Amino acid sequence: MGKRVFYVTNNSSKTRDEIVSKCSRLGYPATRDNILSTAYLTACYLQDIVFKKKVYVVGSKGITQELDAAGIKHLDVGPDPMCSDVASLLRNEVQLDKDVGAVVVGFDEHFSFPKMVKAATYLKQPNCIFIGTNTDEILPTEFPLTVPGTGTFVRAMETCTNRKAFKIGKPSPYVCEAIIKRHKVDPKKTLMIGDRCNTDILFGTRCGFKTLLVLTGVTTLGEVHQLEKSSNKEDQELVPDYYIDRLGDMLPLIS
Amino acid sequence: MSIKNLASLSRDEVKNLFSSIDTILTDCDGVLWLHMKILPGAPDVLNKFREMGKRVFYITNNNVITREEFCVKCDKLGFTSTKDDVLTTSYLTACYLHDIGFKKKVYVVGTSGISRELSRLGIRSFGVGPDPLISDVATLVMKDFKLDPDVGAVIVGFDEYISYPKILKAASYLNHPDCLFIATNTDERGPSFINDCVIPGTGSMVAAIETCAGRKPFLIGKPSTYIIDAIRKRYNVDPERTLMIGDRCNTDILLGTRCGFKTLLVLSGVNTLDDVMNWKQSDNEEDRGLVPDYYIGKLGDLLPLLT
Repeated sequence: MGKRVFYVTNNSSKTRDEIVSKCSRLGYPATRDNILSTAYLTACYLQDIVFKKKVYVVGSKGITQELDAAGIKHLDVGPDPMCSDVASLLRNEVQLDKDVGAVVVGFDEHFSFPKMVKAATYLKQPNCIFIGTNTDEILPTEFPLTVPGTGTFVRAMETCTNRKAFKIGKPSPYVCEAIIKRHKVDPKKTLMIGDRCNTDILFGTRCGFKTLLVLTGVTTLGEVHQLEKSSNKEDQELVPDYYIDRLGDMLPLIS
Repeated sequence: MSIKNLASLSRDEVKNLFSSIDTILTDCDGVLWLHMKILPGAPDVLNKFREMGKRVFYITNNNVITREEFCVKCDKLGFTSTKDDVLTTSYLTACYLHDIGFKKKVYVVGTSGISRELSRLGIRSFGVGPDPLISDVATLVMKDFKLDPDVGAVIVGFDEYISYPKILKAASYLNHPDCLFIATNTDERGPSFINDCVIPGTGSMVAAIETCAGRKPFLIGKPSTYIIDAIRKRYNVDPERTLMIGDRCNTDILLGTRCGFKTLLVLSGVNTLDDVMNWKQSDNEEDRGLVPDYYIGKLGDLLPLLT
């Protein structure tokens, strides 16, 4: 039908190439240019502001590889556990790099106290940029377990630095700016499809897109009706224009 | 009500104030010592309070040591204390579980300061120490971690071994609405600075777990009023005849205001007189709870007024 399709994900652990592989495996054609993931968008943001220093990353190779692709210098990621005790850590083991000008917090399965100390100490400088890739509190859950999401690490760092992170992913407006700027998209002729009202639909509303909620994921129809009835203006932004049980149900309607 | 500078009161006024006080609760860092250096005159003032027949309690949001270890630290700095004078949040957390008749197990994201105080009161716990991610998140979730059905509470204190597996486990236990969620305190940063480093405080560990658990904890430490419940269950204390001394308005003074204590702010720590004046003039009623009854430059300045 001649429509451009973009895959928009808050996942910060994968590079665009890895997402392309995953999409292909599952039968969805994709190229790097149609993927908008937060690791990639973080690198875009740093390019947009002409960032020339180094980045301290609390996150994964998904982020550092996208930074490499954009020519942005960064410190290494991976485990950084407590080796001795707090006093020794602070006295001897924290060696800060004077060239660090930004801290990026993404999903980090190796999150640790030494990393928190380093990130917070870099962020003591007011001109050190503070970026959070996204604020999803949990990943799709494996009930009865809860799988913490990036929002967990971002909130921890916002608390001990008393600073707010610049958020890259949905529902923040940066994704919108990046799409419009890089891909010349007209918001009025754009449809956002998602399963989560407080990220996907809210994001679409804020960008001026039309919004379609699919009921195969997080948000239920019951929850949408509650939001519709709410007198809270903010809740109204989470209400989609359209909904459908699942994306596949559209096929007979458009062929 | 105007805030009075204690140092500008007459000896009779000071005498009258203290004759209406039986119990003194004092914060430690910023009042008695600052980054492990004694604030001059502070030990003498506390000794004088005791000579005058007042009961003195040390109140601290510190939860990484037991009360006995805290006494050893006090002793090194020249302050006399016994464990019954000390109220650490590790001890108070154990008191809380004891007071509510808690019989299950506790999952602790914190140090042995907490687990040892729990054990003293016969409460079983686990989780303290390193718990790094060995394989990957998928394996942890699918295979490596099974919920212990006997866990009835999660306590979060300062934990230098904070890790993804610990946050995942705490949040998973907290999925059950009957599982208690307790935070020792919410201080965002540690009180000291070593080498100019920022020391993330318990508050940041609590924020991490609150975020993914989607729940707020019951707070033990200042400015939560649990402290006064704990003290009154164990000692005969009259809030109206109690003085709270602290350096931080949004924990120490706020606690005092909420409990109906008289409050004294020392200016040797976190807050300044300007801060106080701003809150006094604020339209926000909550801000006025941060305003102390009295202030003084440092605790040691009281000594000439008491002798």
